[in-house]
Amino acid sequence: MEKLKIEGLKLSLELCQFDLRGPDSSEKIVMGASKALASQKINIEFLTYYPNRSNYHQLTFCINQDRFSDASRILEKKGSLPMGWEMNCRGHVGIISVFPHHSALKMLGLIMVSWGKQSIPIHGIATSLSAISLTTDYHVVDKAVEVIQGLFQLPDNHAPLKPELLYYQSSTVKED
Amino acid sequence: METIAVYWESRIKTYGFQRITDLALVEFSYPLSEIKALGEILSQDDLQMLRPKFMIAQESDQRISFILCLSVKEGRDFHASLEKPPGPTPRRYIYPVGIIFFHGPHFGDRYGIADATFSTLSKAEIQVIASGCSSSSIFLVLVQDDMDKAEKALGETFEVAK
Repeated sequence: MEKLKIEGLKLSLELCQFDLRGPDSSEKIVMGASKALASQKINIEFLTYYPNRSNYHQLTFCINQDRFSDASRILEKKGSLPMGWEMNCRGHVGIISVFPHHSALKMLGLIMVSWGKQSIPIHGIATSLSAISLTTDYHVVDKAVEVIQGLFQLPDNHAPLKPELLYYQSSTVKED
Repeated sequence: METIAVYWESRIKTYGFQRITDLALVEFSYPLSEIKALGEILSQDDLQMLRPKFMIAQESDQRISFILCLSVKEGRDFHASLEKPPGPTPRRYIYPVGIIFFHGPHFGDRYGIADATFSTLSKAEIQVIASGCSSSSIFLVLVQDDMDKAEKALGETFEVAK
């Protein structure tokens, strides 16, 4: 059977994931968490927010692993989360972004089947205009990439893109 | 070797706001232990034609919940197909919704973008139905009638490239 074509793969640096869940005040949580992270100059690499579930609301986000302690500390501080909200953390995750050619849903289904067979977990998914990003455990990222490379047809000589530059927004303007 | 580049941006720049309207939001969930079975359902040929404009999935309580935005016809058909056993558990169908999405030169590199986005919408009393941020872009699912108001408010917060 002919393999589905994809345009490429991109990997994140090592990240950590926070899942915040609670019964109500969902607007407070997304504002509160994003404000708290911004105050510590922590960049959010991945976020999913869905406040409409019938019994609870959920905000999930990933940040760089080296800011795990900072983020945990500010979110665990008394009063940071609304009453009844709980936080679950994963210390080491990675994001694999797949750039589909077409048939995004079929492609996702095939990944779910193959990762499921290899016990590779999916902790979150978000799409953009051109990519589907999946979060998984960081220690299985290489294996997860191998599975995807075996499933789909990639452009010749394609190697997954890995970030090589780190950008930081300065807090001051420096004169020349 | 780690290379670090530093820049300064007083007001967060974007390349502008894009919209997709007249969409239906479908939510469903499935046990994580049976994720292979869900993968088999999603990879069926008869779902190949579906073109979700937005999709997120969240894991909780040993289940994975999917939230998709589809065209109205696709959404209605897909929601109906979920109700046939042994498919996933359909939870919610919301219509009509719209999506505003945007990205900028430093999205993905800098802090404060989510804060600026959600604070702006909250101040303008706009309810976010769902959101997904990845690959340096922000997607917001809103009640369709709030789209103009949201774009105006966001346009005042972010600097839109001319």
